[in-house]
Formats: sequence, C-alpha cells, structure tokens
Amino acid sequence: MREKEYLKKRYAAMFSSIGMILLLSGGLMLTPLLILVSNPEESAHVLWFCLPAGGLIILGGILWRLFRSEANTTLSVQEGGIIVIVGWMTVILFSAWPFASVLGLPFSRAIFESMSGWTTTGLSVVDVTAAGPMVLLWRSIIQLAGGAGLAIIMMSAIVGPSGVGISRAEGRGDQLVPHVRQSARLVLIIYSAYAGAGSLAYWAAGMSPFDAANHAFAAVSTGGFSTRVESIGYWNTLRVEAVTLSLMVLGNLSFVTAWFLWRGKLGVVFKNGEIRLQAVLIPLAATAAFIWTCQALYPHMGKAVRVAVFETVSALTTTGFSTVGYGNWNAFGVALMTALMLIGGGTCSTAGGIKQFRIYLLFKMLVWDIKHHLIPKTAVAELPVWEGNQRVFMNDTGLRQVTMFVFLYMTTYGLGVMVLCAYGYTLRDSLFEFASALGTVGLSIGITSAAMPDGALWAEILAMFFGRLEFIVIIVSLLKISRDMRVTGPVVHGFVQRHSHTN
Amino acid sequence: MKNSRYIVVVGCGRLGSLLANRLSRDGNSVVVIDRVEIALDDLSPDFSGFRINGDATHMAVLKAAKLKNADVLIATTHEDNVNLMVAQVAQKIFRVPHVLARVFDPRREEVYAQLGIDTICPTSVAADMFLEAVANGGTHQDGGVS
Repeated sequence: MREKEYLKKRYAAMFSSIGMILLLSGGLMLTPLLILVSNPEESAHVLWFCLPAGGLIILGGILWRLFRSEANTTLSVQEGGIIVIVGWMTVILFSAWPFASVLGLPFSRAIFESMSGWTTTGLSVVDVTAAGPMVLLWRSIIQLAGGAGLAIIMMSAIVGPSGVGISRAEGRGDQLVPHVRQSARLVLIIYSAYAGAGSLAYWAAGMSPFDAANHAFAAVSTGGFSTRVESIGYWNTLRVEAVTLSLMVLGNLSFVTAWFLWRGKLGVVFKNGEIRLQAVLIPLAATAAFIWTCQALYPHMGKAVRVAVFETVSALTTTGFSTVGYGNWNAFGVALMTALMLIGGGTCSTAGGIKQFRIYLLFKMLVWDIKHHLIPKTAVAELPVWEGNQRVFMNDTGLRQVTMFVFLYMTTYGLGVMVLCAYGYTLRDSLFEFASALGTVGLSIGITSAAMPDGALWAEILAMFFGRLEFIVIIVSLLKISRDMRVTGPVVHGFVQRHSHTN
Repeated sequence: MKNSRYIVVVGCGRLGSLLANRLSRDGNSVVVIDRVEIALDDLSPDFSGFRINGDATHMAVLKAAKLKNADVLIATTHEDNVNLMVAQVAQKIFRVPHVLARVFDPRREEVYAQLGIDTICPTSVAADMFLEAVANGGTHQDGGVS
C-alpha cells in the first residue's frame, strides 16, 4: 500500500514533466507559421498546424497543471527514461499530423517522416518538389529541436523536475558545468549559435535565405533533410559544400569538447579520444573512398576528391546530406560508408551510431590486452582515458557497458538487415540502408521511398527510435512501467480520483 | 543569485554527501572531492554536479576542481588536520571568499578562528545540547528536549 502511494507521487512528477514537454512542443509547432510573412499563399495549411499544436498545448497543459507539485522533485534515470519515451512518442505522433494532412501521406509514411525528423535521421518519403515551404520548414525545425533533445529543452526552459536522469535517458549524460540545468542551457546556447552562424554562412555562400535556414538547421542537428531532391548536390559549389562540412563536423562534436573549444582550451581538445579517432579516420576513409571508388566513377579529379571527402564526413557524422547518388557506387564504397555509419559521431552530440568514444575505448582495450601478454604476469597496468580535462581510468563496469551496448547494437542491426532482405532487397542495399536508419544518418541507396512495403518501413521507424535514444534506458524503462502497472493496478484511474477529491 | 553559487565539497562521507545533494538540488554548482571512489556512490540522483576522485591535499586535484572560481569551500573529511590544510590552501592560495571546515576537536576551534576559517564542531554542538538538556533536567516531563 505504501509502495502504491510512493509510486503515485513519482508518476505524478513524471506526468507533469511530460505535460511540460508537450506544451513546449505545441509552441514549437506554431513556429512554421512565421513563413506566412514571406509566403502568404501558404495560409491554406495553417489549420493543419494549429490543430495538432492546439491539441499538444491543451493535453500538455492539463497534464502539467493536474500533476504539478510544489516540491522540486528529482527524477532517477529510469523515471527520466519513461518521461523521454512517452514524451517523444506523443510528440512524434502529433508532429506527423501536418505531413498527413497537408501532403496527404498515409499514416505510416507520415509517422516515418516525423520520426526521421525528430531522431535527426533524414531519410525521407516526402516529395520535396511537391511540398510547400511551410511543411519543409516544419521538417527542418523538427530536426533542429530533435538534435537538441526534448528533455534538454524542457529542463533548460523552466523550473521544475530536473535531474541527471532525464538528460542521461536522452543520451546527454556528460555535463558541461557542474549543474544539470545550467549545463542544459549552455548546450542550447552553443547549439543555437551554430544554427545562427550556419544560416548566415549558407546565405553568404549563395543560398536563398529560406534554403540557408533549412539547411543550417538540418546540418547542425546532423539531420540531413533537404529542400531539394539532389540535397546539397543541387548547388554543386565548393563554398556550399565547405560550409556543410564544417557544420556537420561541429554538430558531431561532443558538446563537452565544443565547450572546451569555445573557451580556447585546445590542449584538452586534442587529448580527447574522439578527436584523435576522427583525425585518423576521416582522412583515411576519404582517401580510401577516393582511390577505390570515386576515382573511376567521376572523370573530373576535383569532383572525385570533393565527393570522397563530403560523403565520408556525411556518413561518419551521421548527417546524411549527399552530393551524389550511391546507386552506381562499387561494393567497396558501400562497405566503407556502412562501416562509417555504424561508427557514428561523438558522444553527447547530436549524432548517432555506436559513437566514436566507444570504438576508441574498445580499440584501446584491444591494444592493452595484447600488451598485457607481453609484460610480466604480476605487472599492474592502468588504462587511462581522457574525459574532458580529466584523466580517468576505465574500470570493468564501464567496459562491460560498452561491450554490451555494441553487442545490442550489432544484434539489432543484424535483425534489421534480415527484415529488409526478407522484403526482397539485396544484401548490399539492406546493409547500407539499415545502418543509415539505425545510426540516424539518413543516406539512402534507394530502399526508402514512399512506395516501400509497410513492414520494412516500420522496421526502419523502430531502428531510428532506438538509434536516437539509449538502448538500455528504453528497455529498462519499459520494464519498469510494466512492473509498476502490476503493483498499482490501473494507475491513471487512481490519479484522477485523488485529484478530483483534492480540488 | 543566491542559489547559483559554485561550491566545492571536500569529503563525501555521510555529511559531505548530504550537503552536496541538498546544495545541488537547490540549484548550486557543486563539485565533490573524495579520495575513495566508492564514497562518491553515496550521492543521490539529486546530485547533478561533478565528482572528482582524488586526494584534496594535492594541488592538482584542487586545480581540477577549479577552486579559484569557487564561492564556497566546505571541508568535511573525518581528519581535522586535512580539513584545516585544505581550508587554509583554499583561503590563502585560491582566495576562496567563504571557507567552512568541520572540526571534531573543540580545542582546535580557537586555532581555526585565529586563522579566519569558519568552523563547525559537531562535538561542541552536541555537548551544548547535552548540557542544555541536563540543565533543564526535570522540567520537561513530556519527553521533549527542546
């Protein structure tokens, strides 16, 4: 009985946070209406944004008011996980509404587009030539917000439940400053600065203001939605590609590293494992792609170099902008891109994938293990890693979590590839496309389209969701929900009754 | 402004972790230092600051805690001498505006006071309360010791 009371209190705090997330996303959903200033002909679609936005705001407002408590509750990691899962799913559902209504997409396609946006993937089933500017802007805004993370936005915006648990559940466990709320605010400031600077840079590089804003949003969030069918390839200029490259690299940089960079502490930045890995991996991959794939494919030498660099960076940072199609790439190119997409970006950044830090750690462990056989048996060795400006020693628990994560990731990847293969796609295409979905990259070799079968589509939707949020957190949170349900019986019912008494 | 100070807590025992949890929950930026790594596990989810595993009598550890930016330092290790040393270093070298130390031995309180360090002595606090309770002896029959 006492446990029941306790759980009710905890769930009340969680519902209130979820309400806050919905409220803020409802507000966010009204921002595409700004496009009316320059494109008044878009006013026909206003209703399809106002309806879901209103729904979110009302639902969020009710949840928030009903379960708001005076006490400043701190939430644990599992509770944060529940907030993140429920919040994300609801918001993704509502965000799909404009796609379904304005563009006339079927339910599954609309959800796919919305999921692809929020998880900053960038796979798309929308025909961008037929879509109006309001919907295009909405796609980019989704990516911008999804890159920052709903819970981070909520935590930095208002006073209310906070805690390391929430940010960790969204894959933002590392903090910039020793307080979770201030850290969240700082992340948003850095992020907005990227987006603003990116928009200006694109504009200066020759894009129209509308395209500049859209592409800047999609690049810093490592999302990759474009307003053109040919993506960045439409402009085909060195300047636009250079701006995109720098934005993608910035977006894939861990916010902690970015914070050191911002303050000019270069020494710390270069000790970072992820930076070192990138410094080796990007030139190596670009050279390999140039020699074995691009050289033969593109007759012009300059074009071949540009393509090799751009595509490899786009894959590693999990952005998903492309300047060419991959249909005619040889097997080596596809394999290389798949590997890069699996590795992914930096921890605590907007990128997805296994994350460079984990790869770096596993590599170091391998080296250390080999060394271990060469030194005397009784020798005591340490395994130092630089985390920010601190030298920490990896313990077995940390390593176990990393290996477990990689195992889960690869298992999911294998299963997903098999699902795509079962729908009749070739192994080569399935490997590429599922790595793209699971790593929230967004490069497509041609599987993802409005005409793809529903099963394959839903497999990719799930992959994107799991790829964006933390695997273990999702699993543990879902288990917790089902266990708590058994303890309390119908939870929601109890709440409403209690509140109608007190009011 | 009051609740957004930068506070360094040295020692993460029962007192140190309690202080760190509360201060962090109230919105302060808190950094906790302890020599023993498992002691840092005592911190609850309330705590959202940084944890440093190291000996606070080492300059490198104090520098890593960015002590020169700190508004407050609280030394709560179980060694009076360590607390005194850390407090003095914080005050003289890092120029921390407000330094607090726990001291168990009441005889040392005076020494600390001369050095300009605010102290809290659990022993004398407990002694005062006991003396008060003894003095009020039979008057509080209803069980409450005020």
